[in-house]
Amino acid sequence: MLTEVTPRPKVPGRAGPLASILPAVLIVWGFVGVYLLQLTIDRAGENHLREKAVAEMAYFPSGRFAREAAIEFQSLAADLIWLRGIQYYGFHLMSDRKYEWLGHVFDILTSLDPRFIGAYHFGAITLAWDAGKPHEAIDFLISGMKANPLSWQIPFDAGFICYMLLHDYGRASTFFEVASKMPNAWFILARWAAIAKAKAGDFLTAREMWLDILKSTENRALKALVVRQLKNLELSEAIDRLQKAVHRFQEDRRRLPADWNELLAAGYIEQMPAEPYGGRFYLKDGKVLTTTPPSQRE
Amino acid sequence: MIDRVSGVALNTFRESVRDKVLVTLIVFAVLVMGSSRVIQPLALGEEAKIIKDLGLSAITLFCVLISILVGGRIVYREVEKRTIYIMLSKPVRRWEFILGKYLGLMAVLVVSMVIMTAAFYLILLVLGVGAPLYLLLAVLMTLFELAILTAVAVLFSSFSTPITGAVFTFAVYFVGQMSRDLKLLAAMSPSPVVKAVSYFCYYVLPNLANFNVRPEVVYGVPLDPSALLLSGLYAIVYTATVLLISAVIFNRREF
Repeated sequence: MLTEVTPRPKVPGRAGPLASILPAVLIVWGFVGVYLLQLTIDRAGENHLREKAVAEMAYFPSGRFAREAAIEFQSLAADLIWLRGIQYYGFHLMSDRKYEWLGHVFDILTSLDPRFIGAYHFGAITLAWDAGKPHEAIDFLISGMKANPLSWQIPFDAGFICYMLLHDYGRASTFFEVASKMPNAWFILARWAAIAKAKAGDFLTAREMWLDILKSTENRALKALVVRQLKNLELSEAIDRLQKAVHRFQEDRRRLPADWNELLAAGYIEQMPAEPYGGRFYLKDGKVLTTTPPSQRE
Repeated sequence: MIDRVSGVALNTFRESVRDKVLVTLIVFAVLVMGSSRVIQPLALGEEAKIIKDLGLSAITLFCVLISILVGGRIVYREVEKRTIYIMLSKPVRRWEFILGKYLGLMAVLVVSMVIMTAAFYLILLVLGVGAPLYLLLAVLMTLFELAILTAVAVLFSSFSTPITGAVFTFAVYFVGQMSRDLKLLAAMSPSPVVKAVSYFCYYVLPNLANFNVRPEVVYGVPLDPSALLLSGLYAIVYTATVLLISAVIFNRREF
């Protein structure tokens, strides 16, 4: 009897010595390929980075929606948005210095986590100084005060912005006073309330206030902002001092000084103040100006 | 070789289709997409955007779950049921077995995606919010993302238990989505060690953020075709590399 036999399938042969290292070589080359492709993708993406950074924020939902969507992970969602917000701030600080969506980001963040005091603090200061929106910053802080009625930091920041930027000393004093009455309030707050009431914003007070902010924070971005403001303050102070000397000279001699040496020789200034950005001061139609354009001031 | 691989793939496909987890996930995905009908009155003029966002996200999320949950036990199940011994006694090379398993699972994912996408378009048409074909681009990019993730799931499945494998795959998925933050950390960190580790992770772990074009697609923002092509190529190279590692590991295992 004949039985049909299916031919036995060929068993794969044993691998040679080269075949044993081939997978390792291919794996290494695979990762090299992945690395090169990612580099190309990143490079292509960099051209659209600005548009993307702005667009991304536009895609961010409103704070209320995000609050519902994040279910029980609201604090975690707030932390992730905090990281993304800092990234957004850093990106624009290094590029165009336009902070179109900064307020929006901090609104979402504090809607998700209304007790995130650090976000109110950093958000308000950057909104007021970097984004140039002090009124928006005050509104943001007032919403923070409603959510955190026992925090001294938020009314303090509101007072600080009123004092420094809005020059509304009465309101600043009220905010400082409110802050000083909060539990564990910073001991210098009562002093600031009195200063705001008595003084109409001089350079010394402003510098002391900025230095206090510098001492009070661990936030590196905020520290960098304070350092920039102190440098700007130094420049404004130097210009103010020279301007006053020029006015006094003009009143006494009915003419403008020929140069700074004349002011120095006549004793109107003891020494020439340094230009903190490395430029030089000059006089134009009786007005003291600096060669450093505003765009080059950090 | 093709016969052997396709045999394993077909078997994996048939086995997975019978899996209750798969059916449950597909049903849930369709239910979530359908729930956008309930959200519609609350959306305050943003219903079209929310329905599209929800639909595309549901497709991605449930396919990721299928990839992790089904893919995580794809090899382990063969070991547990002792069917691996029968399989390996056949003239099938181990790498062919891994490739077949992977292709079978990808076929399951493609079918699931087709079902979910059809349901999504049906919902869009029923709700009358417009169903542009441009949205399919987001589904296609999700498929590339799943190709990588499934390869990672098969890799972990080739040497670990289903739960450990699922946890590892989910961790890779999570880090893969945050890869941009890894690069930022590398750029901003003053510590050279943190910088080196972050850059290493950024380039070695899969950059799944490359494949997320959902926000752009929903808003109808034009996408750069070369960037999409590069991302597709990235997915192919990455998947091939991970499958190769799986094959090497599986080859060294003793049964």
